[in-house]
Amino acid sequence: MSTQDKVTINKLPTGVPGLDEIVGGGLPEFSFNIIAGAPGSGKTTLAHQFVFANATPERPALYFTVLGESAIKMLRYQQQYTFFDPAKLPGAIRFINLSQVVLDKDLGAVLEQITREVEKANPAVVVVDSFRTMVRKPQSDMELQSFIQRLALFLASWQATTFLIGEYAEDELRDNPIFTVADGLFWLRQAAERNSIVRKLQIVKLRGQDSVPGLHTFRITDAGVQAFSRTFGLTGHAKNPPSHRRLSFGIPELDKMLGGGVREGDSVLVAGSSGTGKSVLATQFIAEGIRQGEPGIVAVFEERPQAYAERATSLGLDLETPQKEGKLTILYLRPLDLSVDETMHSILDAVQKIGAKRLVIDSLAGFEMALSPGFRADFRESLYRMIFALTGIGVTILSTVEVDESFTEFPFSTYSISFLTDDIIRLRYVSIDGQLRKIMVVIKMRGGNHAKDIREYEITDKGVVILGKRLTNYQALISGIPIHSDRPVSTEEPALDTGIEHKT
Amino acid sequence: MKIRLETRDLARRLLIYESEADKSSVPEVSPTLRVYEKLRQSLSAFAGVAGFQSLASRALALAKSEDPRLTEAHLSEDGTLQGLGEIDRQIDLHKTAGAETPSAASVILIARLLSLLHIFLGETLTASLLRVTWPGAALDDRNSAHGRNT
Repeated sequence: MSTQDKVTINKLPTGVPGLDEIVGGGLPEFSFNIIAGAPGSGKTTLAHQFVFANATPERPALYFTVLGESAIKMLRYQQQYTFFDPAKLPGAIRFINLSQVVLDKDLGAVLEQITREVEKANPAVVVVDSFRTMVRKPQSDMELQSFIQRLALFLASWQATTFLIGEYAEDELRDNPIFTVADGLFWLRQAAERNSIVRKLQIVKLRGQDSVPGLHTFRITDAGVQAFSRTFGLTGHAKNPPSHRRLSFGIPELDKMLGGGVREGDSVLVAGSSGTGKSVLATQFIAEGIRQGEPGIVAVFEERPQAYAERATSLGLDLETPQKEGKLTILYLRPLDLSVDETMHSILDAVQKIGAKRLVIDSLAGFEMALSPGFRADFRESLYRMIFALTGIGVTILSTVEVDESFTEFPFSTYSISFLTDDIIRLRYVSIDGQLRKIMVVIKMRGGNHAKDIREYEITDKGVVILGKRLTNYQALISGIPIHSDRPVSTEEPALDTGIEHKT
Repeated sequence: MKIRLETRDLARRLLIYESEADKSSVPEVSPTLRVYEKLRQSLSAFAGVAGFQSLASRALALAKSEDPRLTEAHLSEDGTLQGLGEIDRQIDLHKTAGAETPSAASVILIARLLSLLHIFLGETLTASLLRVTWPGAALDDRNSAHGRNT
């Protein structure tokens, strides 16, 4: 069948930020959908958002309530959400209580009343809340199946998009005819993980639509339900072609070590123990970007934006002015029950708002701590998705990570995430001549040459300053306890590696 | 908890509106009952009979504590107001200097119900509900003649 012959299914806005992306662009018009989940999982709020986004006085929404929450109480609470527009009631959104007919009569009478109301109002949207209580009275499977079939048929024929809300358990999925008849099945879950509550949404099925599979986190705020797609809202986003541009740190010697700078769109890991200057390096990276007209984002987890900017000032770097000019955003993400998807949402919002080209995540340990315990288990997988998504749109990411200083080993990262990064810069302390000094080495640059040199550096009021040439008069520098040799200090330019990747 | 002056005024205007409406068609039904019945039907449709009944029972209890003339009044299972009987005439409209004025008891009962709606639904939603229930009434215009849209 050619594209021209196919029926066009209109997609309706869900009214839930992030959900349109998850359901493949919007909810199919005239579809018959179930919202299932435990009490308090956000079913009613989600339905209300859809209703408020789509109801008009000409094609209103009929909201049938049954024996669950009373409409008066429901409206009392729901009007606290910002999406709630009281002007839409009762013209565009009409609440109708079916309790009496459900209590006194059979399903045939219930269907009759729904039919009457629908024929009278010609609604675009119909919600039954809760459908579960409507069919709770004992009846045969055939009666129930027949009722559901007739209801679905009638509402679709009357060109209504329908939501049935119900408190279902997941083991009911196989046997309940309602799930067979439904075009769409939205399952909302909330689970306690240690001291955090994690909410997840799954589109179990959605006919005729290319929805994003898997569990998506969502949050309920004063704006209602907000969903965070596992694809981070980047479905259909144009991928930036790989760039050969090199981005400077603003530290000429380091740029040389990196073969001219970090490749645009790379993910860089700066690893080192506490006090080695990871954040200083990250700040210089972002400040140099701004100096070169590349807006940046700094996601901080361990200190507040003001403190971060003040520390930059002490290094002679002005982060206040670019913030005022919209060239820099410092995001402080500290709630303890974040999901990576939410964090990504905040970062992507900021990236899109200022057209950021550079992103600093300072630090991965802080990021992990800000996540709900349940998400920490998936931290590596989440980081992979996040880095892949962001570098895919041309953002260069620099993450800092603290590693335990060891004088017998040289770990690149405590998270075993170095495989996620294109480039690794390792900072560490060494004991030389009775002093605890600092050295830096580029461990890896994916697809590019980099210096093999181990360089000493200091942190001054100008930031990270690389001293002299490579240290040739010491052996076993990376052990942290080098042995002095009689070789003179090198005067050579940094020798570049051929780009062979190291096993990490 | 006192009834706000604005709510009393709204109740009074609804009662006056109903006293002017359908005088000839249903003369035996008092304005108090007509206002109450319209609220009952409108609220029961979206909140359910039980939802309205529980709200009305609270309103009646509060009103009784303010005006002993309502002592005999009670609600049936479907939320209809009963037992006004003889007192209905006393508590309903007075003729005062040629103008009809709702009695204090009528105003209190209706105002108590409206107050609860304000508490639970908020003023905006309550106003929307009343506009649908009394489409011909100018409920926002206190200066309109007999509460009617002109």
